[in-house]
Amino acid sequence: MIDDIQIMIAGHAGDGVLFTGNVLGKILKRQGWEVVTYRDFPSNIRGEATNYTIRASLSKIYNRGDAIDVLMAFDCDSILRHISAIAEDGIVLCEGGVTESIRLSQKKGRTFHKFPMREMAKKNLGSEIFKNTILLGGLCYILDLDLKIIDEVLTEVFLSKKGEEVVQKNIQAVIFGCDEAEKIVKKEEKHTLVKRPDIDRLFIAGDEAVALGSLAAGCRFFAAYPICPATEIWQWLIKHIHTFNGLVVQTEDEIAAINMALGAAYAGVRSMTATSGPGASLMMEAFSLAGMAEIPLVIAHVQRVGPSTGLPTRPEQSDLNQWVFGAHGDFPRIVLSPGTIEECFYFMADAFNLAEKYQCPVILLTEQNYGQNFYTVETFDFSHVVIDRGMLLSQADLLKMEDYKRYKFTENGISPRAVPSMKNGIHMVEGNEHDQKGYRDEDEETRIKMMDKRMKKLKSAINDVIPPVFWGKKEACVGIIGFGSTVWPIREAMDQLEDKGVPCKYLQIRTLWPFSASEVKEFMESCDEVFVVENNYSGQLHGLIQGQGIECSHVRKITKYSGHTFRPIEITESILEALKQ
Amino acid sequence: MKEDKYHLNDPTWCRGCGIYGLFAALKQAAVSLQIPPEQVVIVTGIGCHGRLNNYFNSYGFHGLHGRALPVATGIRLSNSSLTVLAVSGDGDAYSIGIGHFIHACRRNVNITCIVVNNRVYGLTQGQTSPTSQKGYVSVSSPFGSKEMPLDGPLLAIISGATFVARGFSGDPKHLTSLITKGITHNGFSLIEVLSPCVTHNKINNTKWFKENVVYMDDSTHYRAEDRTTALEALMDKSKIPIGLLYRKEQPSFDDLSLPSDRPIGLLELDVDAKKLKALMEDFE
Repeated sequence: MIDDIQIMIAGHAGDGVLFTGNVLGKILKRQGWEVVTYRDFPSNIRGEATNYTIRASLSKIYNRGDAIDVLMAFDCDSILRHISAIAEDGIVLCEGGVTESIRLSQKKGRTFHKFPMREMAKKNLGSEIFKNTILLGGLCYILDLDLKIIDEVLTEVFLSKKGEEVVQKNIQAVIFGCDEAEKIVKKEEKHTLVKRPDIDRLFIAGDEAVALGSLAAGCRFFAAYPICPATEIWQWLIKHIHTFNGLVVQTEDEIAAINMALGAAYAGVRSMTATSGPGASLMMEAFSLAGMAEIPLVIAHVQRVGPSTGLPTRPEQSDLNQWVFGAHGDFPRIVLSPGTIEECFYFMADAFNLAEKYQCPVILLTEQNYGQNFYTVETFDFSHVVIDRGMLLSQADLLKMEDYKRYKFTENGISPRAVPSMKNGIHMVEGNEHDQKGYRDEDEETRIKMMDKRMKKLKSAINDVIPPVFWGKKEACVGIIGFGSTVWPIREAMDQLEDKGVPCKYLQIRTLWPFSASEVKEFMESCDEVFVVENNYSGQLHGLIQGQGIECSHVRKITKYSGHTFRPIEITESILEALKQ
Repeated sequence: MKEDKYHLNDPTWCRGCGIYGLFAALKQAAVSLQIPPEQVVIVTGIGCHGRLNNYFNSYGFHGLHGRALPVATGIRLSNSSLTVLAVSGDGDAYSIGIGHFIHACRRNVNITCIVVNNRVYGLTQGQTSPTSQKGYVSVSSPFGSKEMPLDGPLLAIISGATFVARGFSGDPKHLTSLITKGITHNGFSLIEVLSPCVTHNKINNTKWFKENVVYMDDSTHYRAEDRTTALEALMDKSKIPIGLLYRKEQPSFDDLSLPSDRPIGLLELDVDAKKLKALMEDFE
């Protein structure tokens, strides 16, 4: 019985690959499977090669797998591009005929069939547009998909936007594709998938989870500028936030976005912006202001490949340094790194709570492969979302206070916060160094006391931020450290390594700043060998660990910066290779 | 409320600086509108004008160079009960912040933007500014400025601003009336203030401004509702028109976008699980 399968749809931008992949993902989810999608798209609308991988499993998965079991290709080029990844018993259905080089590859046990989706759509359904649902029909036969579920999903997709006729025509195309596939695909070539109940689960992208999480956490103002791969966050929010009496503003640039969000946060709203690397670079000056003026601002940063414009639609983890070390001057900041889609949702409440408790900017650092891909997750539990507004004063509290000082020196550095329109709370918010009331002050003693006040907030925050997670067996001698989405390929690699007699343990960092130095040190001291696995060139997490003064002589870096996430096998092989030396 | 209610400290700008005229006019406008100081937020940029918060009693936000307008926008949209002013200089609003300036004009949020225009960078010691006249000699243009000066009010009108005025610090009474009208205008209002810099700009001094300004108001049968008239007046470079130059009644961004009259910033936050669950169903 199949318990894990990977399907790829490949073609060129404009072929409808994304649409077909999303629909297939939803169908598999409804059929009770755990689903992960992986979109491999260039940054353009039409023309260039694209592919969409859907992995389905009976157990929880979070990353694409190693081999492609079923490939649906709109052209022969797409087959050749992925031929090495096709499983030995893989099946390929292709728009075009089988070329000589494909024929050679066939000898390995793979099967190839011509499946002229375009031609069939034109001839039998009157328009090429039905090629994608014919493709779905082909998969319906190969995978034994439930027609009722396909019907249900297509109705959801088309009914409200295009009407009943379009729904029916597409379902007809699915049935046609299914029948045609039956004529050419032999029974033993099928990859039959079981059906399980689909209860209390979502099929959701990381950006959407962040958006829903922010709304649940009380975000009521959002200002942002369009950028891949973060825009989906506010494109979802803008449809719903008004029903919570909130507002999303599309700004002229990222500088305006962060400054507007800062203005809103200062005025007492839970406020945020979202961006990616290039936008974050533009935001750095205001990020520093948020630190200086002690304004609780949340920034969701969905990382893509840098530097510069880089690869805008592809994943990387190379903006850690940007937020941990970025912007001028020393000031407190908190950087969170979710490792699951669930954490993308739940960490939003943490982000807002930490921002308000410590009155500093908080960054939620996610990645393109989470942001724009879909995952099956358990429904979110809103009873876990708690709102803690820290030292935000009420009007009644404020009226009782004598000589209110916005930046009052306190033991932990956190001062009670009044917002404009409150009586008895008038104060100044200053980007210049300031006194306890916020007014500009260049006195040496004040400067030192104010710096100390701001910086010591992190000393209490360190016990309040999200701790790392330990995976694996304590007694293992090989340790792995990572952050963000690498957790899943790493965990799968750990299973592969265990099978090869190399048990590993793994520490997943979830707060990048303030850094969980004592946990990391303890973990590293318990290992003979440590591998820091990350999706960037220089090993930014490795550098961060080194910077804490932790002994690193037994540490090696495993990095990948190709514009793609790790496949588990790549991590396994890198570790085995390194251990041989 | 009397004037002293808004007077926090005596200013320490250079003696004779035009900005004293703005300070006086602002206080007078607040008195005439009777706005409680805690209902006023003044957002300033970087420049000599940025000291205003130290002298005017209200909530104050002294942020980054050129970014007063987006901050003011965020504050106003979060709490529509507030009177929000973005006070800026010619370098702040027309140079580093020009992008925000144009977009604030077309966005039409209910805020008031005051640009103190002294045609020079004062705080950084006398460099040429975007409003310095062509040929202007300064530490940053020792052989004379080669660039055309920028006209803020003209740019504001063609960018879609619905209230555009220009005053002169040497006539605080006139300026007070413009600021008062600007604050009560529904939507974005720009009041540019011609303000001599006594320390760095020896050309455009008080005498020069007095000789070159021309009042455009009811007495001259000027119609501020007519866009073409306003543009013609501003494009005539022989004189500097002051007064309410252009006004248009139209719904503000606030009217069109805010979900309700309740200020967002003052809402009690709770986790409305029922409503959130309904939204979550979209993903099932």
